[in-house]
Amino acid sequence: MALRRTRKELEAGLGEARGDVGQLHAHVAALTAQHQRDLADVRADAEASTKAVLKSAMGTLQSLAEEQQVLLDSLLKKYGDTTDVLADLMTVDHTGSQFSRRAKGISVLCGGWLGRRERAATVYDVARSAQGRIKDFDRVSVHSQVNVSLVGKAVEPVAVVLAELLDNATNYSAPGTPVEVNIQTVPAGLCFIVDDAGLGMDQETKDRAAALLSVDGPVDITGLGDPPRFGFAVCGMLAARYGFAVSVGSVSPYGGVRAVIRVPESLLAADAPAPVADAQDAAGPEAAPQRLAPVPVVGPSHVVGTTSGGLPKRRRRGGPVTVVPALDAGGQEETPEPASEVTASRLGAFARGTQLGRTTNTTEGPDHK
Amino acid sequence: MTTPGEEASVTSDFVRSYVITGGRTLPAADDLALHTLVTLAPDRTPPLGAGPEVRAIWTLCAGGYLSVAEVAGHLGLPVGVARLLLTDLFEQGHLLRRAEPPRAQNVDRATLEKVLNGLQSLIG
Repeated sequence: MALRRTRKELEAGLGEARGDVGQLHAHVAALTAQHQRDLADVRADAEASTKAVLKSAMGTLQSLAEEQQVLLDSLLKKYGDTTDVLADLMTVDHTGSQFSRRAKGISVLCGGWLGRRERAATVYDVARSAQGRIKDFDRVSVHSQVNVSLVGKAVEPVAVVLAELLDNATNYSAPGTPVEVNIQTVPAGLCFIVDDAGLGMDQETKDRAAALLSVDGPVDITGLGDPPRFGFAVCGMLAARYGFAVSVGSVSPYGGVRAVIRVPESLLAADAPAPVADAQDAAGPEAAPQRLAPVPVVGPSHVVGTTSGGLPKRRRRGGPVTVVPALDAGGQEETPEPASEVTASRLGAFARGTQLGRTTNTTEGPDHK
Repeated sequence: MTTPGEEASVTSDFVRSYVITGGRTLPAADDLALHTLVTLAPDRTPPLGAGPEVRAIWTLCAGGYLSVAEVAGHLGLPVGVARLLLTDLFEQGHLLRRAEPPRAQNVDRATLEKVLNGLQSLIG
């Protein structure tokens, strides 16, 4: 009896103890989970504050890099006729462009912005702009048969992504081998195709690239290695943010890597931007450049403004040469032409005469040697 | 520059000049001096794969003589870069060039007045 009672007590005690153990387990599990959550929070906080600091620091560097490039734009024009200085300024400009690309990449990974281009740009110019942001730009050749433009907001991100792909392509292929950019339209938009003649990527690199390129959210910048490999992460972030796609999985015709940026139709501009010359002159027939010949300026030339380049913009008088009276009509004064027009026509004839004397005979050129 | 949701605009030249030259050595200034006049040779077609700058030069120079400085100004390019592109076109036989016109001699006022009077009596 006593034994039975003892056993009962023992069993009850055991049950209690088991319950306690269970509670302890649950408690430990809860604590561990809490600890994990706290740790993750702390990590996220640390990462977020690191990114915030980096973003702001990079923003300053980006502004400075942009300022320097604007300054170089004017210096390049100022010393444009001094060949040696111009060549040296170009090397400085090249270094600055690479610096700017790095700053932009880190900024993007930290949630910062690239800076927006106001104007649409042709895909050919986007490719050339990207080309200018890498070290071995002279190994890159751009082939484009399409005359399509990207809308302003897509110009800078696509250029940065293409620059990262070109940087990879030139870094992971032998020096001196060519890297090609081909631009093609596809039914869903347009593709920039980058082909190198390197050794290709192993499976591990491919997996890493695919993971970073399909990222949809913040990137852990501390997990990018030391020295950090930002390229694919930057591509993934920008592609997700602006709605285009980047892939690097396939093999180029030269045995290296083929990387493709696919830009959807929504990021293509409706109209091609005006060609370079028109852009400078704010288009229009009156803005056509004044030439010495064969259209001599007759009468006062009307300065109607200044081009963005600072050159005087003149309006040309319509067809001055055509108002010269025909030879058989010589002497007839019945034509009711205003005196100024007559003066103009005579001066026109004079100018035409002197021009006749100035044309091909004294012209030096390959055809005339 | 990094205000959330707001992007600063970027105004530096989008395509840098060393890309336009392809990193090639720039020609010496005396090959095509600032005031040298250039024009398109007759009956030429633009070279295959000509870039936007070359096509712009083609349009600019199609109508008559322009100085090297003017071409560079209209393209918005440094003179040395425009000179390289013009030198290419010249070597390919697409361009004709002419030395800058000699500086006008100073003529005394009396002669100028005589010419003016003569012109006025002729056409005034």
